[in-house]
Amino acid sequence: MAVTNPASEKLHAEKVFNSLFTTAFSRLTDRLIPRSGTKKKSPMTPGSASLQALTAAALALPGLMPSPAHAADEEASFLYGYYAESNRNLYDVQSRFDPITVNSFLGSTKFKLADRVKFTANFTEDIWSGATPIATAPLSFGGNREGGVISGATPYLQNDTVFFNKQLNPLKTDPSTRRPIQNPITGKPVVETELVHTISAASPEVRNQGDFKLGYEWDEAALDAGGGLSVENDYNSHWGNLEGRMDFNQKQTSVNLGLSYTNSETNAILDHDATPYIWETSSGYKTFDNTAHNYQLTKEGGNTFLTGNRQDWAASLGVTQVLNQNALLEAGLGYTRSTGYMGNPYKTVETAFIAPGQTGDILTGSAIGLLEERPDQRNQLTQNLRYIQHINGLDAALHFDYRFFHDDWGINAHTFEADWIQPLGKGWAITPKVRYYSQDAADFYTPYIVTLQTPKRVVDANGNTIGKKIDANLLPANYSSDQRLSGFGAISGGLTLSKQFARGVTFETGIDYYTHQGSLKLGGGGEDAYANYSYYTVNGVLKVDLSALSMSGAGHNEHAGHAGHDHHGSHAPAGVMFDHMLGKSGDVMAGVRYMRSTQGGTMQRGLDKVSDQAIVNFGCAPNKCFTTPSQMNMNMIMLDLMYAPTDWLTLMLMPQFVDMNMSTSALYGAPPASSFEDQALINHHTLHPHTTGGIGDTGLYAMVKLFENSGHQFHGTLGFSAPTGSVDLKFRDTHKIDAGFQHYGMQLGSGTWDFKPSITYTGKRDKFSWGGQLNGTVRLEGNNESGFAFGDIFQSTAWGSYTVLEWLSASVRGVYTLQGTVRGEYDGTFHKLGPADYPSNYGGRFWDVGFGLNAFVPRGDLQGNNLSFEWLQPVSDDVNGYQLPRTGALAATWSYAF
Amino acid sequence: MRTTQQALPALLLALGLCISGCAQVAPWQRGTLAKPQMALEPYPMQNTYNAHIYGSREAASGSSSAGGGGCGCY
Repeated sequence: MAVTNPASEKLHAEKVFNSLFTTAFSRLTDRLIPRSGTKKKSPMTPGSASLQALTAAALALPGLMPSPAHAADEEASFLYGYYAESNRNLYDVQSRFDPITVNSFLGSTKFKLADRVKFTANFTEDIWSGATPIATAPLSFGGNREGGVISGATPYLQNDTVFFNKQLNPLKTDPSTRRPIQNPITGKPVVETELVHTISAASPEVRNQGDFKLGYEWDEAALDAGGGLSVENDYNSHWGNLEGRMDFNQKQTSVNLGLSYTNSETNAILDHDATPYIWETSSGYKTFDNTAHNYQLTKEGGNTFLTGNRQDWAASLGVTQVLNQNALLEAGLGYTRSTGYMGNPYKTVETAFIAPGQTGDILTGSAIGLLEERPDQRNQLTQNLRYIQHINGLDAALHFDYRFFHDDWGINAHTFEADWIQPLGKGWAITPKVRYYSQDAADFYTPYIVTLQTPKRVVDANGNTIGKKIDANLLPANYSSDQRLSGFGAISGGLTLSKQFARGVTFETGIDYYTHQGSLKLGGGGEDAYANYSYYTVNGVLKVDLSALSMSGAGHNEHAGHAGHDHHGSHAPAGVMFDHMLGKSGDVMAGVRYMRSTQGGTMQRGLDKVSDQAIVNFGCAPNKCFTTPSQMNMNMIMLDLMYAPTDWLTLMLMPQFVDMNMSTSALYGAPPASSFEDQALINHHTLHPHTTGGIGDTGLYAMVKLFENSGHQFHGTLGFSAPTGSVDLKFRDTHKIDAGFQHYGMQLGSGTWDFKPSITYTGKRDKFSWGGQLNGTVRLEGNNESGFAFGDIFQSTAWGSYTVLEWLSASVRGVYTLQGTVRGEYDGTFHKLGPADYPSNYGGRFWDVGFGLNAFVPRGDLQGNNLSFEWLQPVSDDVNGYQLPRTGALAATWSYAF
Repeated sequence: MRTTQQALPALLLALGLCISGCAQVAPWQRGTLAKPQMALEPYPMQNTYNAHIYGSREAASGSSSAGGGGCGCY
């Protein structure tokens, strides 16, 4: 974000106007005149100023662009965010589970396809794991119970004896006898109305989303069409949207209209630890009434699936109005109509069934969880008002937002938000913000249900019990205990710090703290304190203004030309790292690298395929194997940030975000498991693929130029990989068994400081370029915090590339990789069921051939951008021990040099 | 509908402000309005990230612009 010294504000305003107006005019002429060589910019004569001035300055008004507004026309941005929740109050019980944490990565790029055509593409990845409430129950139900082999409390949804008084209030029970306690003075039972969440762990889940927007801009109007797709293993959603904007009154007034349609599909595998205790899903508790649900339950291969479909139609109308030179106002209206299945398949409502007609002070009953029943339609209305005021003395901006939400589920919600954006000079800005939110509970929200009925046994012709029946007419038509639908208020405060560096690179970092409390609800009457929780987030954003060079005038063109000379056609294929250095002191380069590698097919030992029987007998020596990996894939997103303090030294920082997925299958001919726990784990692993993801290891490198002469260059790299990726990831509990560590290959990093030296040679002549590299990874520690270390790696690679067109080159590459076995082994609970659990089954000698394409933008607004792809085809995998061979790898990189 | 009666005044207020007494701001006077801190969304990435978190924890998700989107509600 560009910032100014308040004293020179007027001068700056004029400068901004002049540069914007110059840019607009030159863009107009550049598109019309065919380009060749470097771009020339001619200053505009004052005589023809007024018409262009109007258009240019108006086009530059950020607030009047279709939302969201961006300062730069062509930009790439990346965000990493970390979210962590606090523990829920479980009173005296210690939960076994960690609260939920989420790692998120967002990438966004926008650029001009033609003069008035803009394209935006966004990618999002969220990875989450941790504990979440599955139900709410009175404290006396004992929903979170300690005891058993593993430490910490695990969820209990079924309770065969629960106690209430005549007024249907829950009674306090003695934890050891589980009988109601009597008040010693009055002899009456003691009422205990405290409630508590029943906490269950969620498996690690990954969500990926891609969306795009294509827009056309007229002088006083714009139209955008967009769509997107969000994919998780239990929920898929796709949508399309249309947005139009019209400007009036010399662009002082803008009206926006938006329409969207979303279609989502839930396909959830219900937690098979919980399904025996949830009505509708448990085998002994089939319901026999014909209540229609907006979801379907099916059993397949040992899993229970819940499927449902949902559709959302939304429309929005907004007006933005310039009030004066220093203030803006926006007012908006939105309407959404949702139909179909809107429930959460992982939440239940604890229901106590009390036989009617009981006398006495103590009523007994039994409790079980019921799947949520939400209405199958929801009409939602939002109204919002936003006011932005410039504070002249401080050059700050105050943003104030109010939003009102109303729906036909009985929820009214108010949001108040205020931000103060304060530039601090020299490109710095700080933004504190505060937000208050309050919502009513939904009409059908209830923490738990008490119903005066007893489930009736249903018998077949022979008198055998085949299930139980509940009278759904005695239950509410809709019910949910999801805390998102309860009454509460929330306050959050945050701070964002941003710094704009030269040449359009901006770095921002922020923290946020949020607290959800029933007592904060506007007007009172919110949920009790048991449901309170809080969370914090930290995030970092990198923004690169892709057209920064063209904004600044003639001086930069020489440098751009120089950058073109340095990098034109001499990029190594996408799968090679540390292949080029920055040429000049002060150069900066930002890039993103995406890599995906997959393994699958028939297991191997060395170079030979092996049968299941061989794996059973020899794959897990000295024990037997029960399972084998069947499919594995890994995705990595890496940011390459390079800076050259001198002509011969380039420093590089490489953080990365990874996710891995692994499927396991049972081995044909395996013996029975040696314990009940192992057998339960084998069943669980083969039914569910496992996922992990989050921040991986971070690389720090220094590249030194050793030799450069007439097209040949040698450079060496010394660097370290810092163990910022977790190596202590464990499976979530299953059947109340501590399933222990995830497989070695599913951890997010190496856990050790690794030394990574390399030496690279590149050569170039006419349209050919070629190169070779030797690199290594040497673990500097014998074992990481979980007790093991991966093997060292040595890799050699050589490639050749040919410039097919001015902007496109093709490459061919060969790679040889040698990796050692894992050393040491896990030092905690770890169930060894298959080859992937034994350290000797890691590493090997691998040959690959790579085919790549590299596209480079030599001129124009996007000059300096480089995009390359490479497919690595495995040729030979000589694996150590028993492993799944690789089936391929894809690498894609985008980089931008300044 | 009662809520429409609430909504219309808000919208008319905005338009009314324009008619009644918004200052006419000529294009060359819009320097301040063009500053990045005056943008409707000065931090778009963080805004998207936070909006997704709020949508996963609060019932009043959905902004005033019809964007559509998947859940991923943890």
